[in-house]
Amino acid sequence: MGISRDSRHKRSHTGAKRAQYRKKRKFELGRQSGNTKLGIKRIHEVRVRGGNRKFRALRLDSGNFSWGSEAISKKTRLIAVVYNASNNELVRTNTLVKGAVIQIDATPFRQWYEAHYAQPLGRRKAKKDGQVESEELSKKRSNHVKRKIDSRKEEAKVDPILEDQFATGRLYAIISSRPGQSGRCDGYILEGKELEFYVRKIKSKK
Amino acid sequence: MSEQIEKAFQKQPGIFVNAKAIGKKAKTKNQRWYKDVGLGFKTPKEAIEGHYIDKKCPWAGMVSIRGRILTGVVMSTKMKRTVIVRREYLHYITKYNRYEKRHKNLAAHLSPAFIGVQPGDTVTVGQCR
Repeated sequence: MGISRDSRHKRSHTGAKRAQYRKKRKFELGRQSGNTKLGIKRIHEVRVRGGNRKFRALRLDSGNFSWGSEAISKKTRLIAVVYNASNNELVRTNTLVKGAVIQIDATPFRQWYEAHYAQPLGRRKAKKDGQVESEELSKKRSNHVKRKIDSRKEEAKVDPILEDQFATGRLYAIISSRPGQSGRCDGYILEGKELEFYVRKIKSKK
Repeated sequence: MSEQIEKAFQKQPGIFVNAKAIGKKAKTKNQRWYKDVGLGFKTPKEAIEGHYIDKKCPWAGMVSIRGRILTGVVMSTKMKRTVIVRREYLHYITKYNRYEKRHKNLAAHLSPAFIGVQPGDTVTVGQCR
């Protein structure tokens, strides 16, 4: 392929041009970038130095995302790439990289919340007569479980900005794994100051 | 805060700042991670109490200081978060039994913990790579 990661081809710190005195070595090799896109899962395995493997994800559609303040993680579908601090091109082509802000499916988190706190989350306030209460909310619970849920009542408050996102069914999350190295797209849901920061960036770009 | 200048959100990677505020126990104190670099260097107050985010700061960032510790005189502070340090030394010429003055310039990272660094100040530089 010819991609090498050496510094011998670059000018030195003083600006001097370095003469070539040896060929490229295998330990200096570089490989083509994975450019992981959104789509049906496609992962290639690569044999790397020392006999170990790297999983180059070429297409991914789901990942394990954590909700930090609730300390849980759920496997979710990825919907779209929304912001990338380095390159807008990566947003347009929906490329998954570490540090990209994406939208993920909110349903696993909402289901967990409603089962854990027995309170509705992100339900539309609009009058819907035919609306059946979700299975988690109206489930019959034993006394022991009911007492546990009562003791969690004060902690059940969710940030209003997050609640709006639950109403639309899409949460903003940021990728914290490296899909081209580990083959996974994992990350965490944006909250607090970080969420405000990125929401502002996204809005100012539109 | 004013330290969010870049396109990506600047933060210290280890700190989780979004814990739910459980009523009275809201932690309003500045949640910050810092470390002691060792070798007898005192960690500056600004590194502990400040709000800057610098991943290359020895106290509030992800670098470890090991190896050589050098000193020199600051020549210029025009770069963002770096200074040029001038180190003078004498080189001995054996034929004439005399010395000549030589100098080397060294670019070093200047943590935001140090405020008011001017050309002419003496600094200590630690090796990190």
